[in-house]
Amino acid sequence: MLKRAPALTRIELLQGTLDLIILQSLRWGAQHGYGLVQHIRAHTRGVLDVDAGSLYPALHRLERQKAVKAAWELSENRQRVRVYRLTPAGRARLIEERSRFELMTAAISGLFAQPDPAKR
Amino acid sequence: MNPLARLFGRRARRAAEFEEEMASHLAMDEQVRIARGESPDDARLHAELDFGSTVTVREVTSDMWSGETMHRVVGDFQYAARSLRRVPGFTAVAVLTLALGIGANTAIFSVINGVVLQPLPYPKPEQLVFITTQLPAQHFDEFWMDAGEFLDFRERNTSFSSVGGYRTGDVNVGTDAAPQRVTSAIVTDGFFDAMGVVAASGRTFNTRETLPNGPPVVVLSNELWRTAFGGRPVVGTQVQINRVSRMVVGVMPPGFDVHDQGVKVWLPAVLDPAQRAQQRGGHYLYLIGRLKDGVTLLQARAALEPMLANWIAADGGDPKAPPGPTAIHAPDPKNHRVNYAALQSHMIGSIDRELWILQAAVVVVLLIACVNLANLLLMRAESRHKELALRAALGAGRARLARLFISESVVISASGAAAGVALAFAGLRALVATGSKSIPRAGAITMDTHVFAFTLALGALCGLVFGLAPLLHLASGNLSTALRQAGSRTTALSARNRVRRTLVIAEMALAVTLVTGAGLLLRSFWNLMRVDAGFDRSNLTTFSVELPRLAYNDSTRCVAFFESVIAELDAVAGVRSAAAMSGLPPRREVNKNDAQLEGYAPVAGKDPPANVDYVQYATTTYFETMKIPMVSGRAFERADGPLSPPVLVINETLARVFYPNQDPLGKRIKPNGDTLWYTVIGVAKDVKQGGVDSQAGTELYLLYEQVPRTEGFAPPNMNVVVRSTLDKATLAPTIRRIVSGLDRSLPIVQYRTMDEVFSESVARPRFLAKLLGVFATVALLLSAIGTYGVLAYTVTERTREIGIRAALGATRDGVLMMVMREGLTLAGIGLVIGLCASAALTRVASSLLFGVTPTDPLTFTAVGIFMLLVAAIASIVPARRATTVDPLVALRAD
Repeated sequence: MLKRAPALTRIELLQGTLDLIILQSLRWGAQHGYGLVQHIRAHTRGVLDVDAGSLYPALHRLERQKAVKAAWELSENRQRVRVYRLTPAGRARLIEERSRFELMTAAISGLFAQPDPAKR
Repeated sequence: MNPLARLFGRRARRAAEFEEEMASHLAMDEQVRIARGESPDDARLHAELDFGSTVTVREVTSDMWSGETMHRVVGDFQYAARSLRRVPGFTAVAVLTLALGIGANTAIFSVINGVVLQPLPYPKPEQLVFITTQLPAQHFDEFWMDAGEFLDFRERNTSFSSVGGYRTGDVNVGTDAAPQRVTSAIVTDGFFDAMGVVAASGRTFNTRETLPNGPPVVVLSNELWRTAFGGRPVVGTQVQINRVSRMVVGVMPPGFDVHDQGVKVWLPAVLDPAQRAQQRGGHYLYLIGRLKDGVTLLQARAALEPMLANWIAADGGDPKAPPGPTAIHAPDPKNHRVNYAALQSHMIGSIDRELWILQAAVVVVLLIACVNLANLLLMRAESRHKELALRAALGAGRARLARLFISESVVISASGAAAGVALAFAGLRALVATGSKSIPRAGAITMDTHVFAFTLALGALCGLVFGLAPLLHLASGNLSTALRQAGSRTTALSARNRVRRTLVIAEMALAVTLVTGAGLLLRSFWNLMRVDAGFDRSNLTTFSVELPRLAYNDSTRCVAFFESVIAELDAVAGVRSAAAMSGLPPRREVNKNDAQLEGYAPVAGKDPPANVDYVQYATTTYFETMKIPMVSGRAFERADGPLSPPVLVINETLARVFYPNQDPLGKRIKPNGDTLWYTVIGVAKDVKQGGVDSQAGTELYLLYEQVPRTEGFAPPNMNVVVRSTLDKATLAPTIRRIVSGLDRSLPIVQYRTMDEVFSESVARPRFLAKLLGVFATVALLLSAIGTYGVLAYTVTERTREIGIRAALGATRDGVLMMVMREGLTLAGIGLVIGLCASAALTRVASSLLFGVTPTDPLTFTAVGIFMLLVAAIASIVPARRATTVDPLVALRAD
């Protein structure tokens, strides 16, 4: 059984962040739902664990918003899978959400980097 | 494919795809796990655990698909429809109640829409103005204009782009089959221009055809052309009109008419503009003008004033000259005004008030229906307490429960509206069939898009109104207490009971107002029917014959014809007597002819002018046949022949107006500007000539047999009355044989019994009273059902309490009285409120009442007793059921 990070170290995803993660994960090519789960888990060393009940609504929402496009394809195991890929609109959305995310993390980091006046 | 089906098809495909997507996800995870060394069983189990519930995933994901809101709404409706199907009795009552209310509203609104709201079927109908003259001295508000005035007006006015005059009458038309009597109109030059309508085939009249010695021509209506001439090409052919051969120059488009008169034959009114002076004083034309573009009726009225002030001077007369034979007869600002009225509002007259009253009545019916439905839904919501509490416990929010109720009421109101439209369709047919004679523009009544929009709005509004009732229940009731209550229902429902009782009081009050209004109108109608018209109308049959002027150019031939008809009728077994007269009571046109009365010199501005309202040409047997009693003197006799001295009979009113405190017998009168003096031989009892609801006017009777000599004229259009024990149908072939035996070309028209003539004269009040009576009955039934329903429900709800009372020794009568008292208290409060409201509201209808005041004590008392009786009947059934409650069973109930 796959080792999982302890529950406390896993992060509950903020609303909206999941969209960004999905879009970012699709940047390097088309993925099916299961692939995305594995990809996110692997690239965050198990810290971010997306369950199906969050992933599929997010994917279908992005599909409805035309940020991603879905198609049925055959996997390497000759299995029919539904594959999602970024649309130009999705690419633009990724850039926009990423810069917003970076702005926010920079701001929060700045808050933490400030020397504590009490200790001085 | 319709959008809804498409939506569902797409959703089904989408759902199937997602099942496959989830399956592939699980399969891949399983394969990875097996590859990693897990046993197939473990791999499957872990994959499924990791994935979570497919049900939940499916549900949260499907929320993201497009069309979800729509799908959810449709789902709600499907659910509502399903749950309503489970209670067919409730649903049927609800839909039927609503269908009645909406159907009645739709039907009446269709009438208002067609008659009042739809513009007239002419181009730019708002520009059309109905022009009449006003003669205050004779109490004429809307009188015909004379030809001279028409010609003057046409030249001098600056407000109208065209003006035309018309006068309707009847003509005999020689058709392909038998001769027909149809409504005709003579129209002046410019009439069709003013109406803005051209002939559908051929043309209308040119100016030459309206001048003296013009060619004899005629224009036919589309209806006559189709029915009497089979729609064959007729333009250019000859047609017999009153035995004169006329060339058809055109056929009008379908439905073309003037002032709703049903004109079938259009003839030119021959006027000579050069002979204007000779055409003054003979008033016979109604004028229709078309306002110039951009000119309003108000501006036209302002422009009329200087025209009136200068009129007589413009005709070369002296405006200050006293009235007399030398003065020019022309309009002036004081004694001979000119009136403008928008054609449409003039045509519909006062009917709009009556129609709006009917509409108000059906709105009341609908309100009562809604109140009943609100009560029904409220009770349904209460009986569903357990279900609702369970739903709430399972996580359904208030909004979700509200949606449940709203979708149910929308389903009910939509079905009710649909059924209502069907009802209205049938009802409207019956309405137009019975009311076409009393409603102007009845031909324009149809159910169009306006009507459907109205029904749709009404249905939505109703759904909202009664759909809110159970929501009230939701808002007030705490759902967790509801759950507890559902377990053990006690009588702690007083708040909701209050709502229900208020609703019962409201519907009782509404029904009372309607029943009172209907009662007053029924009494008015009854009074109208009881009016003594001055003659005995039983066993009287009447018909009329118009003798064509060409064949009967000598007035003695007219007299001879009718004398023969009467003589032959008299000879028929079963006929008591027969007579002929020029004007048929109780509703005939006025004559308003000047007369010279010996010894009567009116002071201008003080005494009534020497002008007689009705001049009746009657045969010798008239008074005997009509059974009109003589007040003094004698009736016509055989001795008053064509050669004996001219005599006349006057009525009581004429005697009172012109000969107060004098004996009129033996006085002499010159009627109609005659040169001969006539001697008054008798005073007859008043006969209602201008309608049973109005005062009898002044009237004088000339002897038909004498007038060819005294006046050189005898009216060729006479009404024959036959007093006989034979009924109308038995008499018909005899009359037809007699008339065609004398002249084969003559049609018999207006063949009716005098009772029919009477009921036609009060057709409109009867129509109104009948409809209001029907609506009041429906309102009464609905409110009785409502009262019954609420009491029955209360009894069921209080079974336990009643059981305790019975166990503690309450008698059957005591229980009965308790329930009865509740029902009668509610009805009593509703009754008081309703009667107060009626007293305030019936004033609006006071112009429609006859012989009864708007707050008639008798009607109000009768309504009060009647409503209490109805309430008692509605209460007795649930009250009796309450007495049968078995204490033991009741105490064990839920």
